[in-house]
Amino acid sequence: MSARILLVTGAGGVGKTTISAAAGVTAARRGISTLVVTVDPAKRLADALGVGNLGNLPTHVTGEPKLWAAMLDVAASWEAIVARHADPEVGDKLLANPYFRAIADRFPAAQAYAAGEQMAEFVESGSWDLVIVDTPPSVGGIDFLLAPGQARDLIGGKLLRWLTGAKVPARRALYRVTARPVLRLADMVLGGPLLEEIADFLLDLRTLYDGVEQRAKGVERHLRSARTVVVTNAYPTPMREARRFFEELPEGSVVPSAVVFNRELPHEWEQISAVPANGSDLDQRSWTALRDNLLRWATEARRNADARADFAARYGATLASTPWKPQPPTDLDALADLVAASNGLDEALFA
Amino acid sequence: MLSRRLLLVSGKGGVGKSAVATSLAMAAARQGSRVLLMGMVDALGLAVHLGVDDLGPEPRETHPGVYAAVIDRAQALDEYLRLQVRVPKAMPTKQLTRALNVLVETAPGVREIVSMGKPIYEAQRRVWDVVVLDAPPIGQLISYLRAPATIERLVPTGAVQRQAASMRRFLANPDRAGLLLVTIPEELPITETIDALTELAAEPLIDLAGVVANRVLPDLDLDASIVASLPPGAMRDAAELHQTLFTQQAFWLDAIGKATWLPHLFGVMTPGEVAARLTDVWEMQ
Repeated sequence: MSARILLVTGAGGVGKTTISAAAGVTAARRGISTLVVTVDPAKRLADALGVGNLGNLPTHVTGEPKLWAAMLDVAASWEAIVARHADPEVGDKLLANPYFRAIADRFPAAQAYAAGEQMAEFVESGSWDLVIVDTPPSVGGIDFLLAPGQARDLIGGKLLRWLTGAKVPARRALYRVTARPVLRLADMVLGGPLLEEIADFLLDLRTLYDGVEQRAKGVERHLRSARTVVVTNAYPTPMREARRFFEELPEGSVVPSAVVFNRELPHEWEQISAVPANGSDLDQRSWTALRDNLLRWATEARRNADARADFAARYGATLASTPWKPQPPTDLDALADLVAASNGLDEALFA
Repeated sequence: MLSRRLLLVSGKGGVGKSAVATSLAMAAARQGSRVLLMGMVDALGLAVHLGVDDLGPEPRETHPGVYAAVIDRAQALDEYLRLQVRVPKAMPTKQLTRALNVLVETAPGVREIVSMGKPIYEAQRRVWDVVVLDAPPIGQLISYLRAPATIERLVPTGAVQRQAASMRRFLANPDRAGLLLVTIPEELPITETIDALTELAAEPLIDLAGVVANRVLPDLDLDASIVASLPPGAMRDAAELHQTLFTQQAFWLDAIGKATWLPHLFGVMTPGEVAARLTDVWEMQ
């Protein structure tokens, strides 16, 4: 039995990890056997959940009988893909290849796809009812959904075809291919036999294709049926990432169930535009400082309200929010409280 | 900061890197400099800060003295080959470019060196008093800065190798190039900035021109007892919220050490407004 999937996405630094952990605690306390998967290199989820060294293997959360957590090491996941889909001999050659390292490090799609494969393993294992994925911060949310297709293109020889023409040659023909005048000229300009090495590498990479193609389809199916919440705040960069979920969503995907504005200022401040004169016994300087401070934060609250309203009007998105707290939650009860004290987050996650 | 020919502006995503780069360019232009502002990552990002619809690879004067352009990788590759590696015009560039595009996508350092080649070329042209580069986020920046040395190892001889060596020297020369790191006083951005500073201190890649702490809250200069004596309500809540954030910020500002502070702009929403307001702040400093 496959687990249901909840994707918690959005730009880095908006509190995705906290929302994921809070959703996990809430689900587990309702009797749903839950795994929270994060790709965040920071140890914040581990700290909040009270599990010391999270690794690729799910760890049981002490004090929560139904909750597990795991942290994906994306570099290691990518090596796992090679191990799974390549012949051992080719696999070793690939992993030792400097071009392979460059691709693995640099293509966010490759990293996101590696995380997606790992997620699919957990989902299909039958060990959990719900798998919550805190999407990688390096790939602004939506790229996680697009990654399987991009990884397939990459491995399927898109680059190789650029290099060698419409038909991908057999390895025997490679010598003749690289001996084509243009490539020879290119290597002459560059000062080394780079393109020949690259063509050789891309042929090795292509041997992964059949395995990856099949797996990528499975990962894609999981991702398209997943419930998604997009976490953001009113700043331009996170808002831009959130917009992409409504403008670039792959066909057949489920529309995000909500856009969560995390750590919102009190909404009643939005109405404050003037403060009556000093009626207290405070000295005038202190009172002026306090009044100006309130008016500044009220302006900020109105700005946030405008950003939310604009988003809702433009995309018809369901909004949810969590209130600002002086400190982020540091234990399981505080995480559960976060969902309870929110505005619409519970429905967005579980309804 | 703007005494060098090339200023790279970087920082963690979302800290206001593009707004700071734009405002610095506009402030320099107001002082009479002819400035080229280049975007490396996405055209739209820089365009909204400048208040224009779009930017292309050709520099365009968006404000008096401010010329802006974004790096288009295909064109950058073509220019890199013609202007820097000096590939003769007679070569079949279309096929060559296709083959080299594969190289750009796969070989370590090549994509980076092609992108960095353009601003360095512009900075050496003496058409501009200064080139301000809205550089990739801090996490990717180090690999861009290391790219010339990577290429020098990958390609043993020839024009590409010579060009890479000259780029490496240009970036490492404090009279020519410098790096401005933008951050905000919060845990993750400060931690990333400190990590980057440590890495840069260990390797002579580029001179640090400075650190900018963005969105710094004003000091209310109020005794805690005054806030505690207020009756419950919005005024007290706002004061407590401010003081909590102010204390947290003070800790992270202390951790980062010497930095230029830019104020938090309350209620300012659009990127264009932010850049315009920050330009005024730079002028006053």
